[in-house]
Amino acid sequence: MTDVGIDAVTYWLPDAAPTLGELERSGALRGAAATLAGFGFRHARVASSESHVDMALYAARDLLGETSTSPEEVDLVLYAGALTSSTTMECGPAPAGSVLQLRDLMDFFKYPVSRLQSELDLTNAAVAGVDQQGCASIFSAIRLARATLIAEPDVRTVLCVSADRLPHGASREVVYNLVSDGACALLMRRGASRNRVIATHQITKGAFWDSGSLENEIIAAYFPTARTVIEETLRKAGVTLDDIDWVIPHNVSLRSWEILLGLIGCPREKLYSDNIGRIGHTIAADNFINLRDATDAGVIRKGDLLLLFTFGYGLNWSCMVLEH
Amino acid sequence: MNGQSARREERRRTILVTGGTGTLGRELVARFTAVNDTAVIVLVRGQANSGASPISAAVTRLRGDVRAGASLGLAPSERAELASTVTDIVHCAAETTFNRPLDDARAVNVEGTKAVLELARDCRRLERVACFSTVYVAGRATGCFAEAAIGGDDGFVNSYEQSKAEMEVVVREAMPDLPVALYRLSTILGDSRTGAVSGFNAVHHALRLLYQGLAPMVPGRANVLVDLIPVDFAADASHALFTRAFEPGRTYHLCSGAARSATLGTLLDATMVAFERHRPAWRKRSIARPALVELDTYELFVRSVEEAGNQVLLQATRAVQAFAYQLAYPKVFDARHAEAALAPFGIVVPPVLDYYERVVRWCVETNWGAPL
Repeated sequence: MTDVGIDAVTYWLPDAAPTLGELERSGALRGAAATLAGFGFRHARVASSESHVDMALYAARDLLGETSTSPEEVDLVLYAGALTSSTTMECGPAPAGSVLQLRDLMDFFKYPVSRLQSELDLTNAAVAGVDQQGCASIFSAIRLARATLIAEPDVRTVLCVSADRLPHGASREVVYNLVSDGACALLMRRGASRNRVIATHQITKGAFWDSGSLENEIIAAYFPTARTVIEETLRKAGVTLDDIDWVIPHNVSLRSWEILLGLIGCPREKLYSDNIGRIGHTIAADNFINLRDATDAGVIRKGDLLLLFTFGYGLNWSCMVLEH
Repeated sequence: MNGQSARREERRRTILVTGGTGTLGRELVARFTAVNDTAVIVLVRGQANSGASPISAAVTRLRGDVRAGASLGLAPSERAELASTVTDIVHCAAETTFNRPLDDARAVNVEGTKAVLELARDCRRLERVACFSTVYVAGRATGCFAEAAIGGDDGFVNSYEQSKAEMEVVVREAMPDLPVALYRLSTILGDSRTGAVSGFNAVHHALRLLYQGLAPMVPGRANVLVDLIPVDFAADASHALFTRAFEPGRTYHLCSGAARSATLGTLLDATMVAFERHRPAWRKRSIARPALVELDTYELFVRSVEEAGNQVLLQATRAVQAFAYQLAYPKVFDARHAEAALAPFGIVVPPVLDYYERVVRWCVETNWGAPL
C-alpha cells in the first residue's frame, strides 16, 4: 500500500491564557476550579477578536510558510470543525455572539473552507468540510486525505485544517474538561518524510447523539469503547501496545487518561501529557498540537510508533497509529 | 388433652424462623410448612413486613426484632412460650446490604445472632439451630477457601462480610453448648426454574446498571470465577441438611464451586446476549460491555467520580463497588462436606449458565420488579 503521512504540523493558539481561578471568578466554569485542577488542568486559551476561520488561516499560512509549499501545490483542502458553528462563517464581529445567529439566508452558504482557499490562493485545490464528529473531525479528515492520496494519483498534497472556538461567554467546562480555542493545520503527502499513517479506526455510536441529556451514559460509554477502538487500531496496524513508543493524547483530563491507560494496560510514562495543564482541550486540534510540541522538544524520534486517540461527540471514538 | 394427643404434641416440631420473609427464609418456610407435624413460627419485623409477606396461613407470625436484644422485641409471655415449645431455630435474619455502616450491619448480624442464641439456650426442647452465613466471610482471601476455614485474615471487602465473620465467631463460641450448624451461602441469583428473583441483591443492581449503560468498568479479570447459586438450590440444600442430615458443629458451603461457576468474562458476555435477545431495542442503545480493569484503575475512576460530584455515577459506582470488589480477590469455595452430605438426597447445584439467562430475562421483562 502507498505510504501516506503527515509531513508537517502547525498550530495557532490565542495568547490569552487565563488560569482556572480567573475563569472561575468570571463565571466561565460550571463547577469548581479545584476539581478541574485535580484533573490536571491549569490554563485555558481563549480567543478574543479572532474567529475560528481566522485561527484556521493563521495555522494554515504558517504551515505553507514553514514547509515552503507554494499554494498551487495543494490539491485538496479538508476543513474540520468540531462545533456546528465551526462549519459556518462568523457573522459580524466574532465576539458579538454565536456564529449560528445568522442574519441572512445567504449566510448559510458562506463556508470557511472556501474563504481559506481564497485567502491562501490555493487555486488548484478542491475543498471540502469534515464535521459532525466533534473532536474526532480532524481524524476523519486525515483518514479521508489518506484514502484520497492512495486512490487518486493526481492528488499529491492535502491540507487538513481544524479550528474551533467556543461562542463568546460560553462555559469553558464541558464534562469535567477545560476547553480552549485553537486551530491546527497538517500537510499530508504520499511518501511523507515522517508520521506515516499505519492504521486508523473509528467507532460511531449515534444512539448517543443527544449528548446533553445522556451525559452520564456517555461518560460510562467512553472508557470501554475507547479501549475497543484502541485495540482494533493496534490490530489493524499489526502492533501491540508494547510496540508503541508514545501515546499522543487529546487534552481531556489527565485523570481520565490515567484511567484509560490503566484500562488498556499502558504505562503512564508513554503518555505525552505536557500540554494538558498548559493548554487545555482545544477540541479538535489537541493531538496535533501535542505531536508538534513533542517533535520540537525532541521527545519523539524518527521511527517512533505513536498512538493518537481522540473522542468526539456524536459519539465518535477515533484512533490512529503513526510512524514518526 | 388426652395422653395420645399429648404425645403427638410432644413429637410435633416447632420451628422458629427469623428472616422468614427474606429471599431464603420464605423458601424455607414453604418447605417447613409442607410437613404436617411441623408448626412454623416466623419472627417478623414491623406491621408492614408482616402485611406484605406472602407467608402461608399455616404460619404463625410473631412480631419481633432480632436487634432488640435478648427479648427479641417479644412480650415476656411470648418469649416464654417460644422457650417452652421451639424445637428448631432457623436464623436467616440478616442485614445483607453490602455497604451499610459497620455498626448497622453488626446490630443485625452479630448482636441479633447473640439474641437468637440466647433464646436457643432457654429453649427446653431445642434440638437444632441453623445459622446462615456467607461464603464471603473469606473476605479478601484468594485461592481455595475451605468449609473449615475461618475468614478475615486478609481483611474484608465490605461491612456485610465483616459482620458475618464476626457473627460466625459468636456461633462457634456457642457450638459447645448448643446444637448449631453454620450454612454459608454463595450469592443467590434467582430461581433456576423460572428465573424469578424474590429479593434483589448487589448482583441484580449491577445488572440493572449494566442495562442502563451506567457501568463503564468492573474490577476483576475475565477468567475470575463468579460463584452464584439459585435460590431453589439454596433452600433445598439447607432444608435437607437441616432436617434430614443435621450435624451440629458443622459448617457447610452452599455454593457452585469451580465446576459449576462461570467466569466473569463469560457472564458479562451472557448478560449482553440476554439483554439483546430479550429486549431487542436495547441493542440500538449501543451500550458497551463494561471493561474489566485492575482494582487500582477502578478505584481511580471511583475517586474521580467522587471528586466530580456526579451523583448518578457516584451511586452507580458504589453499587458496583459493593459487589464487584470481591472479584478482585479471586477465590474458589470448597464444598466437599456439603456435597457429600447432599449426595444421598440427589441435591446438586446446577451450573450457573444453565439458568443465568432465565434470571436476566426475568429482570429485563419485569424491569427489575418495577412496573414498566
